Amino acid sequence: MESKALKGSRGIIAVIALMIIFVGVSTSLLQLNGNVARGISPEYNALAPYEAPNNLASWVYDYRGFDTLIETGVIYVGALVSVLAIGRGIVRTKGVAEEAPVAQSSMDFHVSSLNVILKYFGIPVIILIVAYSLLVLTGAATSGGGGFQCGVIFSSAFLLGMIFYGKKNPLNLSKKFLIGIGGFGWALYALLGLPGYLVTGYWQYNVGADLWSSGLISGVSGMSAVVPDIMRQIFGDPFRILLVLSDGTYASTAGIVPLINIGEAFNVIGAIGLIFLVFAYGYTDEEGKSK
Amino acid sequence: MNESISNLWSIPLFIIIPILAAILLNVLYSRKRAISVTAVVSSLALIVVSVLSPFGFHWFTGQPAVLPTGGYTYRADLLGWNLALEYYYGPLQQIAIFLASVLLLFVVLIAINSLKKNTGTYISLLFLTFMSAAIVIMVNDFYHLWIGVEIGSLIVAGVVLATGEAVSQKAALKYTFFSALSGAGLAIALALILGVTGYANISDAIIAMPLNDASLASVLYVAFGFTVLSWIYAGGLAPIHPLKADVYGSAFPHATILLQTQSKLMLVAIGLVILRLFGTLPFAKEVMLSVSVLTMMIGVVMAMLQTDFRWTLAYLIVSHSGLVTLGISLGTVQGIIGGLFQAVNDVVYMSVLLLACEGIYYFGRGTSIKTVSGIAKRAPWLAVAAIIGAFAASGVPPFNGFQSEIILIQASLNYGMPELAIVVLMVSVTTFIALFKGIYNIFLRPDDAPQAGEKQGMPVPRMLYVCLAALIFITILFGVYPQLAINFLNEAALKVVYIPWVP
Repeated sequence: MESKALKGSRGIIAVIALMIIFVGVSTSLLQLNGNVARGISPEYNALAPYEAPNNLASWVYDYRGFDTLIETGVIYVGALVSVLAIGRGIVRTKGVAEEAPVAQSSMDFHVSSLNVILKYFGIPVIILIVAYSLLVLTGAATSGGGGFQCGVIFSSAFLLGMIFYGKKNPLNLSKKFLIGIGGFGWALYALLGLPGYLVTGYWQYNVGADLWSSGLISGVSGMSAVVPDIMRQIFGDPFRILLVLSDGTYASTAGIVPLINIGEAFNVIGAIGLIFLVFAYGYTDEEGKSK
Repeated sequence: MNESISNLWSIPLFIIIPILAAILLNVLYSRKRAISVTAVVSSLALIVVSVLSPFGFHWFTGQPAVLPTGGYTYRADLLGWNLALEYYYGPLQQIAIFLASVLLLFVVLIAINSLKKNTGTYISLLFLTFMSAAIVIMVNDFYHLWIGVEIGSLIVAGVVLATGEAVSQKAALKYTFFSALSGAGLAIALALILGVTGYANISDAIIAMPLNDASLASVLYVAFGFTVLSWIYAGGLAPIHPLKADVYGSAFPHATILLQTQSKLMLVAIGLVILRLFGTLPFAKEVMLSVSVLTMMIGVVMAMLQTDFRWTLAYLIVSHSGLVTLGISLGTVQGIIGGLFQAVNDVVYMSVLLLACEGIYYFGRGTSIKTVSGIAKRAPWLAVAAIIGAFAASGVPPFNGFQSEIILIQASLNYGMPELAIVVLMVSVTTFIALFKGIYNIFLRPDDAPQAGEKQGMPVPRMLYVCLAALIFITILFGVYPQLAINFLNEAALKVVYIPWVP
């Protein structure tokens, strides 16, 4: 938006509107200070020790796991739309003379101008960043972090590689690969809901943790199906941890949460990596064909 | 009304099928045959699921509800605090999703027939448009509603960008920028409602709402304000109407069919949530009514000023959004039924007009009333379809627009506001004038400048006529037998007015 668009009466209206919003939100937050209702959160917290030791992982990928599936979709669609703005996926009507697509030029990288020390420094740094991203991913259920963070950290390694070494960088991820891996990640996340759906009828029921049909928690009524042992073996046991807390010891398992995080990581790597690559080097269909 | 099932099989499929189809289509990208098969099979599957599905709930991730007396239950008809994310599929959702999936099929068929190469990403976005509409109309959770609106805005920008024109890029950028406010507004409202009640589930939040706590009343007003703000942005109501009109006008006319369907469903979904959560607040309905009246008036006046048929339709879609929200804003059973029925009818007759506009576009001279003329001679059935669509949009019997507008007029009179009925009448008349100005010039005015050797574009595909015939059939069916649609809408209206905590 041009700054001159906010001059005059429009600017005054915008300032007044922002002030009203600021005052409204501030007074609301002040009134809520000390009066915040706990609502459903104590229930979630009480269940947490049965699942991921990282409570946040249980919230984000189990109780509210379907929210996160669609949020993951926001990242995927964000990449799709960003790359569309550069040129991938523009469509033309048969036989109708339409305005030519808006041309986008690629950024001008001068890799050769970089210091030699930086170039040699780059490879170990990229290796370390990638290793760190994998560490964050594998610890998703037990410590802070997860698939999204892994994807962002990995993508930053890819960006660093592009800045230091250009298109042919050590990671050398192609557009096609990034599109594929991003789609694979979102699809994997979505399809991890299938085992629970087939067994219990609930999409994304955490068959590995199986809090509700295993008899782990008492006083549950109305669940019609139970998870067979084979499912529990596939999805649960590798991640079981004994949690020793002040109120007792819990055999905790995150079930499908770590697998979902892997899907999330692939999706984020594909989406953000594609944005970096296409924004830096542009996109043409001819280029894809020649390869 | 009190379905007990909490793992209804169909609900996840309405979301997962479009997601998987979209991913596959994007990867296929330029493989036309594979794209055609994937897209058609997926959209047919959605139609079949919407028809076969019974009513009920789905508690995603299979967490039960916490009973107030202790223990947990999987029965959706018992009062309990939901641990899981809740979707509901009832009669309103059935007719909305059935219509949206039929329109998705039509749009996909037209895209396959009329567009050349690299259609995978574009059709993938059409599936995601359907998905976002399905999310907002089924979800009973404020947090998830926000995500649905957020992803929906982004998808709309993508569909518009796919035309590749400068005007589309500008429209998409402006829309993305401002629609971020819509998501942000809902997020702030969510934060405040969570602070006040502790529940993201809309039913639970209504039950826990401290309506008698005067110290928190202003917090509820601020939450209401932000929810209305997001309603305005998501639905393209005044004063944000130019942004949405730009989006409708810049996209391919066939894509606008899905965009306007998504927009109408968002208006309905968020509108009903506002009524359920804040309907008892003083001035809530008055604020909603004011926005609706402004949208109707401004939209129809802007439509009259346009010289391009696409943009006339774009502003009329905006104006008729005001008719939908007017009914919902009245907050009475009759008003809500009128608003919901108007949304259904609006989606159908605007689709007829947009398909006629798509047909005009194929002749290769654009859709401006200054440059295109004499189309009726070359495509008489297209002219007939456009005229029927215009009659329906103007509320002329025996078409569907008449039935919903008459309910809206009656609801306004029964509410004690005859001036609203006059506005509805005025919108009908001006819609007629705006549409027939375009239809006369494009279809009926003699082709005054036929140029020798002029490129004639592409022939109108038969598929477009088939889709038009099907939509006109629905237009007449709902016009002659409105009860067919109203039977699906009664339940939602009754619940909102009498038992708002039940989704």
